[in-house]
Amino acid sequence: MDSQLLTLGVDIGSNYIKAVMMKYSEQPKILETQCEKIRKRDPGQVAEDMVQQILTNHDLNYENISYLATTGEGDLLKRKRGHFYGMTTHAKGAHYLIPEAKSVVDLGALYVRAIKISNDARVEDYKMTGQCASGSGQFIENISRYLGLSIEEVGDISLTSENPEVSSGICAVLAETDVINMVSRGISTANIIKGIHISIANRIIKLMTSLKAESPIALTGGMALNKGMIQALSEQLKETGKKFEIQTHPMAIYAGAIGAALWGGYRFIKINEKLEMKV
Amino acid sequence: MRSLEQIIQQCSELAFDLHFKHAVNWKNHDASRILVGYLPIYFPREIVHAMNGLAVGIMGTGDRKQIIKGDAYYQSYICHLPRGIIEMALDTNFENFDGFIFPAICDCVRNLSGMFKLAKKGKFQRYFDYPQNFNPSIGGQFYIQELQKIVDDIYKINKVTLDTEKANSSISLFNYNRQLIEEIYSIRQKYPWRLSAVESYYMIRSGLAIPVEEHNLILEEVVEALQKDRGEQMDNIRVIISGSFCEQPPIGLIKSIEMAGCYIVDDDFMLGSRWLCKPVDDTSADPLNALANSFITSSTFSSAIYDENNSKGKKLVQLVKDRNAEGVIFSAASFCDPALLDRPNLQKACDESGIPHINFQYHENTGQFKVIKEQAGTFSDSIKLWA
Repeated sequence: MDSQLLTLGVDIGSNYIKAVMMKYSEQPKILETQCEKIRKRDPGQVAEDMVQQILTNHDLNYENISYLATTGEGDLLKRKRGHFYGMTTHAKGAHYLIPEAKSVVDLGALYVRAIKISNDARVEDYKMTGQCASGSGQFIENISRYLGLSIEEVGDISLTSENPEVSSGICAVLAETDVINMVSRGISTANIIKGIHISIANRIIKLMTSLKAESPIALTGGMALNKGMIQALSEQLKETGKKFEIQTHPMAIYAGAIGAALWGGYRFIKINEKLEMKV
Repeated sequence: MRSLEQIIQQCSELAFDLHFKHAVNWKNHDASRILVGYLPIYFPREIVHAMNGLAVGIMGTGDRKQIIKGDAYYQSYICHLPRGIIEMALDTNFENFDGFIFPAICDCVRNLSGMFKLAKKGKFQRYFDYPQNFNPSIGGQFYIQELQKIVDDIYKINKVTLDTEKANSSISLFNYNRQLIEEIYSIRQKYPWRLSAVESYYMIRSGLAIPVEEHNLILEEVVEALQKDRGEQMDNIRVIISGSFCEQPPIGLIKSIEMAGCYIVDDDFMLGSRWLCKPVDDTSADPLNALANSFITSSTFSSAIYDENNSKGKKLVQLVKDRNAEGVIFSAASFCDPALLDRPNLQKACDESGIPHINFQYHENTGQFKVIKEQAGTFSDSIKLWA
């Protein structure tokens, strides 16, 4: 295997773009990660700039990258070699970060996906939330904005809650109305946020249960780094008596991009092998 | 010379002009010119062309017209295509049309011909039947008689007779049209990144609303432009789309499949424009007979054809091999009986040949493609990573 095989994975989400450069080998290594909030900019251009920045940081150009793979809304990035579907990349990325994981829960901005994976990171089954945003990271962002908080503060504030006020777990619109009522009733910000986390945690547990997810379960995506969310999920698992063992990783937000970079390396080798066979 | 982007823009406007302004302008230049609308899949446009007419393909409204009256004409278990077309007929979209041809494909289209008749749309409304017997002396004769009815219908309107020389000249123009389209498909088969399936779709569909001479000029420009490399080669899988021959898929669906990591190297979207696989004899003393012979001997495979030896599956498998495709996406309109009834046999043929496939259904006005994108994305990944 070529020890200098460099791959790039770019995960274009609806809020954040994550990019990872890896040295692909039998023990792949992450060389650089970047995460950028889109903030009403052109996501394709943001992704392009991030790629360029990574290349510049390593004194490389596009041609030095063996395979640039996208995932998520990857079609927005014009210059790439291939695209992989989000579930495939999150499975691979989670397997890289937490090799013992048998299931993955991707806590994304728009929806939550529970995925069962094989020993070689192959997707075996999955369940995902529907169109409603009430189980998503975007929902937490909206609520935090109403409450005048930054998304980075939400996790820590949730941990200080003593008497959480649970909101509607079915519909984001109803939940938002709940939150407005809570504010007017003088419920503390911490208790509102914790209530939202509990409501989302219950939806995640339902997904894991209906999938019959096997433990350990790796949490990926932006919400996997939200301490309040993880705490609420652990508490709800205990309360509901579910035996799921969840694990997270400091790089969980990059799981999609890592998966894309890894599959990119795999494809690069596979394509070359095919070409060699033809010759 | 225009850029490919300019051509694509022009074609996309022509393809989805539900008032057929270009065709109407063409007609207004000469009092003897007529417009004849025809429905999917195939109709030999050559005879209309030879009689100073323009056969305009009516492929439905897509997602570009709100259906209100049309829903009252069809039950909920009928596909979307006839609802949109009757809506157009009841509005002003077909005001300048002289006649309508309803090629036999299914009961819905047959009923639509009756609705046009009752609503007195156009000067003639012809349900155009196809032979189910592929013996030239039986099916061929039947087909000639069906064509003759159209010739008579047109003659009654503009008093133009079907002249042999003109008919052969029209056949020659349409032969060239099919040849150019095949050239584009061949280029896309080899270099699918040079022209997307959506761009190719616009180019071919635009030909249904303009004179063939103009369409040939456009296609010539495209073929020339495609000799140069364009776009970047992606690590996509190569797929064939099957089942979208009548009610057309929304553009968003074709885009979604492509964005999910698939190169569409062949399809049956605009099958009528590619129906005849070999050139029609353009030197015959009997052009109707030449067209009939071509239909009998050179038609492509389709759910609209009664296939005595049930070889459609084999032909699909052969197409997969010829196009070097890695999988088949069965994409049919909801409630499309011809496509959905054929699907199990086609899938069986794919299974027996080890060709991966997936299937889904759409309406021409479907607006949400998330699920389809997921299906196509996982299909693409499964072939790329595990096949």
